[in-house]
Amino acid sequence: MRPAVLMAAALVLAACHEIPQDAPKSYAGKADDKAYASDLFKGDKGKFEAALAARAQKQNEYLRVAEEKHK
Amino acid sequence: MARMKFICDAERCIECNGCATACKNEHEVPWGVNRRRLVTVNDGVPGERSISVACMHCKDAPCMAVCPVDCFYRTEDQIVLHDKDLCIGCGYCFYACPFGAPQFPQAGAFGLRGKMDKCTFCAGGPEENNSPEEFRKYGRNRIAEGKLPACAEMCSTKALLAGDAPVITAIYKTRVQARGKGEHIWGWAMAYQGSDKLSDQPGGKS
Repeated sequence: MRPAVLMAAALVLAACHEIPQDAPKSYAGKADDKAYASDLFKGDKGKFEAALAARAQKQNEYLRVAEEKHK
Repeated sequence: MARMKFICDAERCIECNGCATACKNEHEVPWGVNRRRLVTVNDGVPGERSISVACMHCKDAPCMAVCPVDCFYRTEDQIVLHDKDLCIGCGYCFYACPFGAPQFPQAGAFGLRGKMDKCTFCAGGPEENNSPEEFRKYGRNRIAEGKLPACAEMCSTKALLAGDAPVITAIYKTRVQARGKGEHIWGWAMAYQGSDKLSDQPGGKS
């Protein structure tokens, strides 16, 4: 009787485990160039990041107003 | 390593559609495909808010999780891109995306769908940087030119910010600290002085 109950319980609970759904998926497409691999930055990641950071600050008009006042 | 993100400041967006127009123009996006669009809540009522929506380049992107052909990838700057040569236009990503970002060109009769198209954060796709092939499939690669997305750079009120997450959140924080918060920062009182109650504004409900 007992083995039968255990076997039944194992069968019933077999679908109760969670399959991980957030496993990293592999990318099946073509490899992409690095953004800083272009002629402009010639692979210099630091220069690329500095250029983007400087560009981002142009969106900050509080800085732009301050610069205008100092002119 | 940068984490490229968009922030749309709902207090500043004036629903001019400049961002959507800039995107269309920059990438020569075909008719019927809208990589970026405006969403307005409570349109016409004092206190209305608009935000500009496109692909948000999620950290845990649902489109990437559901794609049956694994055509999505993430760049070093955490920009979510996809390979159009691999995309089969199934539309799973459209159903998975909470922002409605994936777009499908209607190719011909019977509701045929083309390959998925979406905001690339102006970073092109898996073709040679700034090549004609990349432009044809994904649009211009401004990131490789050291520039930020055209939509944010064109935004007249700078409601839409784009860039590395810590940088743009710092800009947004400065802005919020300077202007305060609450209903008094919107509309008539902010622009022309006077009562800061929404109910006192023209068309306001008491």
